[in-house]
Amino acid sequence: METATAAHTEHHPDIHGHEEHHEETFLTKYIFSQDHKMISKQFLITGIFWGIVGGFLSVLFRLQLGWPNETFPFLESLLGKWAEGGKISQEFYYALVTMHGTILVFFVLTGGLSGTFANLLIPYQIGARDMASPFINMLSYWFFLTAGIVMFFSFFIQTGPASGGWTAYPPLNGLRDTSVNLGSGLGFDMWILGMSLFIVSSLLGGLNYIATVLNMRTKGMNMFRLPLTIWALMFTAVIGVLSFPALLAGCVLLEFDRLLDTSFYLNNIIINGNLLGYKGGSPILFQHLFWFLGHPEVYIIILPAMGLVSEVLSTHSRKPVFGYKAMIFSILAILVLSFIVWAHHMFVTGLNPNLGAVFTLFTLLIAIPSAIKVFNWIGTIWRGKVRLSSANLFAIGFVSMFISGGLTGIILGNSAIDIQLHDTMFVVAHFHIVMGVSAFFGMFAGVYNWFPRLYGKYMNETLGQIHFYGTLIGAYAIFFPMHFMTGLPRRYYTYANFETFNNFNFLAEFISIAAIIVFLVQIVFVVNFFYSIFKGRNVEVQKTVDGHAYGNPWGTTTMEWTSPIERLHGNWPGDIPTIHRWPYDYSVNGREYIPQTEPLKPGEVPHE
Amino acid sequence: MSVTLTEQDILKEKTEYTGVHPQKFGLWIGMASMSMFFAALTSALLVKKGDYRSWEAFRLPTVFLLSTITVISLSCCIHAALISYRKSKFSQFRWLMFFSFLLGCLFLGFQLMGWSVLQAGGMTLTENLSGSFIYVITAAHGLHIVVGLFVMLVFIVNAFRNRKDPIYELRDIINPKRQLNLELLVSYWHYVDAVWVYLYLFFYLNYQ
Repeated sequence: METATAAHTEHHPDIHGHEEHHEETFLTKYIFSQDHKMISKQFLITGIFWGIVGGFLSVLFRLQLGWPNETFPFLESLLGKWAEGGKISQEFYYALVTMHGTILVFFVLTGGLSGTFANLLIPYQIGARDMASPFINMLSYWFFLTAGIVMFFSFFIQTGPASGGWTAYPPLNGLRDTSVNLGSGLGFDMWILGMSLFIVSSLLGGLNYIATVLNMRTKGMNMFRLPLTIWALMFTAVIGVLSFPALLAGCVLLEFDRLLDTSFYLNNIIINGNLLGYKGGSPILFQHLFWFLGHPEVYIIILPAMGLVSEVLSTHSRKPVFGYKAMIFSILAILVLSFIVWAHHMFVTGLNPNLGAVFTLFTLLIAIPSAIKVFNWIGTIWRGKVRLSSANLFAIGFVSMFISGGLTGIILGNSAIDIQLHDTMFVVAHFHIVMGVSAFFGMFAGVYNWFPRLYGKYMNETLGQIHFYGTLIGAYAIFFPMHFMTGLPRRYYTYANFETFNNFNFLAEFISIAAIIVFLVQIVFVVNFFYSIFKGRNVEVQKTVDGHAYGNPWGTTTMEWTSPIERLHGNWPGDIPTIHRWPYDYSVNGREYIPQTEPLKPGEVPHE
Repeated sequence: MSVTLTEQDILKEKTEYTGVHPQKFGLWIGMASMSMFFAALTSALLVKKGDYRSWEAFRLPTVFLLSTITVISLSCCIHAALISYRKSKFSQFRWLMFFSFLLGCLFLGFQLMGWSVLQAGGMTLTENLSGSFIYVITAAHGLHIVVGLFVMLVFIVNAFRNRKDPIYELRDIINPKRQLNLELLVSYWHYVDAVWVYLYLFFYLNYQ
């Protein structure tokens, strides 16, 4: 105790003279950190946890779908009453599907993806010492974590977690009566609470990201010198800030229906022969509010991945991004269009066909900016010195996945065709490839590429390659066959009663085996991630200035590597560097790359 | 040999791009977001009013007009508080903040009165969708008022706590961070007040 005090005093000989000088304790450094880099790590590791949970749930329900007649005794020891005799119960099957969607869409691909990379890259790449409000940034993480804890604990209550689908449609989810649906009881209340906390987290994060990008750029960093990652992350935040409130409003009305017996979404409900007192509500109203978020949500998921991929492809192909401004305006177009296409999820609700045609038109218009982006990505790697590192492989895999999934989007966007395909495996295949797997690929590209920035070490390259090829082949093996399961409805517990679907039994089994293998391959990534934090190869030191070591592992032009390798609160030991050029000066003037901070040579013409 | 920076060091030089402090800019984005929330609720009302045949028309309680007058006075009052703070008239500042707080509480009182008038007239929460919307929207708005009152209370307690010792008062009050926070609070109040004026006009047009 005495020594500690002595050491403390020694360290701060004039502590009273500098009251604002604060020392980082374990608590402020790792737990209640306001440092964007630490918050980024917190988001990433929480996201990885949720990724494992969400993926594991899908393995469980794939067991049921692949082998509907088998029993798996280990399931009973794992799940208890939810899998009596080793067979997943119907109630729990729906809970699995619901929570799989909720967790992966919101907790991994929204919170985990945007949270990680917006926090890491925005201050680093625009040249800011931290976010506009580090405190609100910290709150954003803590709301995210609390939301997750609430969701997680709903697995352990008597009636089980929400099981009425991740879209939470009433009337199924509008009644607390567990005789209708077990998961509509307390589990769904916890779902609403968890989602509300999540929405608050996402708004707090989003307003910070936008305010930071627009206000806190370093000298010389005008908007058209921002890397595409930053553009993508900022537009993502704009979409989130404007669309999540609609879901919150929808959830508030839903919870009023559930707890206080209002009738916003319920009308003439009959249960066990009894007419309940609800009158006047319309479940379609909820769908409008839900999909007003729900559709922009898919762009909240995919835009950050697009930004990361643009940056990774350019860096690892040693070529400037092809069509930099076209990329920006494409994201902007997607942002605007994302708000006016939501009813394409509702073609079968009795929507006026003329209105359906309008929504079809806007939906198909999104193909244009998407195609521009794909063209530009391919243009970026065309004749580049492509390094097949794990990061770049995942970026290329992203482009492949995005094309495969995007093409079926054009089919599904047509209201006339959608009536046949609605709620079939074709839709499942479409959105998993274009949004789920693609976004994961973008995220993995980002993690492999910026892991050295996060931890000062590389991830293991061999394991990374195994992870990539396993995931690419496995993901296609899972989702490609689904396109051919014509007319097979999604979310069914068993198809045993439908003889016509018997010929899909082999495909279902094949998909389940592939799903299990892909899940195991993701474990390789998790092991690689945590192993590399401690034992990974260190980033090479290129120079040492004033005791700070600097490196640039991929030869990147952007600003994040002008900051020392070690984590430094405030990011730059001295003044923040000034920016002199656009972010993609690769292979120009006979040089491999020119950092953004390097002044133009006399007579050199800047890119813009 | 690490450099420790305070939050003020991190944020100070950064008003060159938009002309406002980044945190104030962040608050504006938050306002856009809250506006979308109320827009979603009010457009839901319009949709239901349009497609529900048994939508019951009723008179909006007059007391909501009093709430409207109250929030407008609150906005004036808290803005006057900000001006006196800027002019270092701390005694005036304290009392204007205090009055603003009372006006906020009065507003909540009027809202509750509005609810009881509705109840007395037979329009309970579950009676008809037309009434349900009023309850939910006023409750959602009221929650924003409660949050604002809570933060205001923190300011008032701080302002009154140090009034006996002018040195402490100066040290605690004259600091850019405190002034920024006060400006954020005042902007927030102008915003929630404006939302209520919008909601009142919206209700007025839809229920008379």
